[in-house]
Amino acid sequence: MKYEQLEGGGSLCLRIETKNGEETKPQVGEKSFASSLPPQTSNVTTGMADMKMIQEIPLHQIDLLDETFSVNFMPDLRSLRSSIREIGLIQPVLLRKRKGAFQIICGFRRISILRELGNDKLPAMVFEERERDDLHLFIVCLHENMMARGFHAVEKAIALEKLIDYFDVDRSVIIQSYLPLFSLEPNEKILSTYLSLARMEEDTRRYVLREEVSRSNIRILSALAPDDRIALIPFLSSLKLGENRLREVLTILDEICRRDRVGLKEMIHRTEIQAILSREELTPVQKTERLKRVLMDLRYPKMKTLEEGFEKMRKALHLPAGVSLNHSPYFEGRELEIDFQFQSMEEYRSFVSSLSSLADKKEFEEMIQGSRIRSTKFEIRNNLK
Amino acid sequence: MDLKGRFARYSEFGFYLNCMLPFRIEKIYLDEKAEKDWVTQSLLRSLPGVPVERVEDKRNLIKQSLHIADPIGMGKRNLLVTHFYGRRLKPCPGTSRHICCGYHVINAVTNCTMDCSYCVLQGYLNNPFLTFYSNWDDLLREIEDFLSMKRNPLSRLGTGELSDSLALESIFPVSQFLIPFFAGRENGLLELKTKSAMVDPILHLDHRGKTIVSWSLNPPGVIREEERNTASLEERIGAAEQCQRKGYPLGFHFDPMFDYPGWEEGYREVVQSIFERIDPKGVIWISLGGFRYPPKLRAIAKDRFPDTRIFSGELFPGRDGKFRYLKEIRTEMYRKMVEWLREVDSGLFIYLCMESREVWEDAFGWAPENSSHLNYLFEERVKRFL
Ligand code: SF4
Repeated sequence: MKYEQLEGGGSLCLRIETKNGEETKPQVGEKSFASSLPPQTSNVTTGMADMKMIQEIPLHQIDLLDETFSVNFMPDLRSLRSSIREIGLIQPVLLRKRKGAFQIICGFRRISILRELGNDKLPAMVFEERERDDLHLFIVCLHENMMARGFHAVEKAIALEKLIDYFDVDRSVIIQSYLPLFSLEPNEKILSTYLSLARMEEDTRRYVLREEVSRSNIRILSALAPDDRIALIPFLSSLKLGENRLREVLTILDEICRRDRVGLKEMIHRTEIQAILSREELTPVQKTERLKRVLMDLRYPKMKTLEEGFEKMRKALHLPAGVSLNHSPYFEGRELEIDFQFQSMEEYRSFVSSLSSLADKKEFEEMIQGSRIRSTKFEIRNNLK
Repeated sequence: MDLKGRFARYSEFGFYLNCMLPFRIEKIYLDEKAEKDWVTQSLLRSLPGVPVERVEDKRNLIKQSLHIADPIGMGKRNLLVTHFYGRRLKPCPGTSRHICCGYHVINAVTNCTMDCSYCVLQGYLNNPFLTFYSNWDDLLREIEDFLSMKRNPLSRLGTGELSDSLALESIFPVSQFLIPFFAGRENGLLELKTKSAMVDPILHLDHRGKTIVSWSLNPPGVIREEERNTASLEERIGAAEQCQRKGYPLGFHFDPMFDYPGWEEGYREVVQSIFERIDPKGVIWISLGGFRYPPKLRAIAKDRFPDTRIFSGELFPGRDGKFRYLKEIRTEMYRKMVEWLREVDSGLFIYLCMESREVWEDAFGWAPENSSHLNYLFEERVKRFL
């Protein structure tokens, strides 16, 4: 697409050309634009491609409430604002003539800043009311935004949802043609993830954007009931969770709730969790650490009991400093492991002598016998033998 | 009657069968190479009205299918008829550093019309389609060759590892071929493992005790939540009862067992329900196996079954990389099950599936020396039982 400023009759014109340089004629009433022209090839979109006059439009004639073509979500206006303040508007906005007021096609952010700065008119290219169908104009808007600034995750989600729900584009066309436009892999799962994001509550979407939540975590959030999500977001916001921690916390919470058949809200309001969250002297990182420990204990109660039992016995042995005693990973085997490091013969002798005295300790023997004792409690004979 | 004759007679009923199927085949993908096989032709006759698409390159079909949202779900409704090149009879892969029973797996069909949230096939098969291999004669030859080598005094073979043994019986009589085939073999024993209740087609067969029909069982709540498109517990036990009346040795597999609040009551009731209707003397073996899964299953199953509760237990990676319940939990489950089963009949042959020596010892107070020892115990059991 090529923008070219032409001098003509005292007004500025903009020529929009197709890729191969040919101008295309506007096709009024064109219906299935998306299915005939996948968005990747549609610089073209611009199928409007004729010369558009840049006109000065009074701001009060623009319908600011009509968001049909907007995909904005939490726009960051800072740099655009300072640029407009410094050098004015470089790129005219796109509007469509409507009875009573102009409809914004592209330029929601620019218009909002110009208003804020007290301008009363702005340069715009204007489509006639029936010059192009809605879908065509939406694609123009997507392309223009894509080139100018790109979209963040929530905006992609809003755009995809609009394509399906408002512009009635077939899912398969969206997967094949529009997902790649947003640099997304063309598959159903990705589309479903983004659609679920678009349909989440405002606060959840804000959280997703602020914390740059990954697609896999968005999927976990989307599986929750809206009420649970509403309860969860302030809880998550008070912690310091990276991508993996967030997944871990969400997964653990979900698994406890499923196991105990309790709601997430109820779970979050447990006293031991609230006790951590309410401690104002703790930093978000400290809260996260403590919370993780509580959640792990709730999630793996038997493991916790085993660990505590082992730790109690280990302490009773009064091992010399520098010697560690470990059980097998996850208590799967019966073996115990003693670990020590030494630098001199003297140190070695001292370790060995204190370790050999372990054999006389009742606690140590109990520890070794631990799992065997448990197994022989049940005297079950098996006729396999 | 030869195989073709038997099938021709069977497929006359195709239309009726197709109307009665407990699942739906939406489309048949027919590999050109399999088109002329008599098995394929008969299979097509038994699924009238199902659209057929000829496939030149099945690899392409499979590759494309992997891009859709739920290839596994799709695969369960779409049948691929093709050839299998290579060995279709293999030792059960078992799992490293655990005691395994020395079973052999017959690959007649891959995938299954049922849909269990924990099914390992979801992460194991790289072809999501329900796949029927039409070079059937090659398979029978392979089994024949294997048995004639007489490597073991008695080999146990089964079709229930890569599919459910009876799931597709209504569209192709796999078991109706295999049961008479094994009836005439001295050193081979066939085990059909199922979660269905579709035993009618096999009841009339002359099995001579060489086919064991076995059911994988779980409490009704677990079946309802985690084993989609399968028969209820009542139906499974009812089907087992019918088979027992026809003299089939029965097997039961409490595998996978799940740890959930109330598991004790759940499994105890299953044991009671079985033996209210089944004579324990006709049960050749019972296996126990706690839920275990390879790491990659988790994401797949959670995606396909967002409401599943199977991952809520205390599961940790084991020596073979698979996740299992904490040993304490598994041994507790096994001990209790053994206790309840022994109360019914102290002579029941109970074994653990893919467990370590330690767990055997903790659960039973002793353990087989190794996998071959367990295999020997099976042979002895069969000798005494038959
Ligand atoms: S019945 Fe067996 S093969 Fe079929 S889905 Fe369930 S676990 Fe998998």
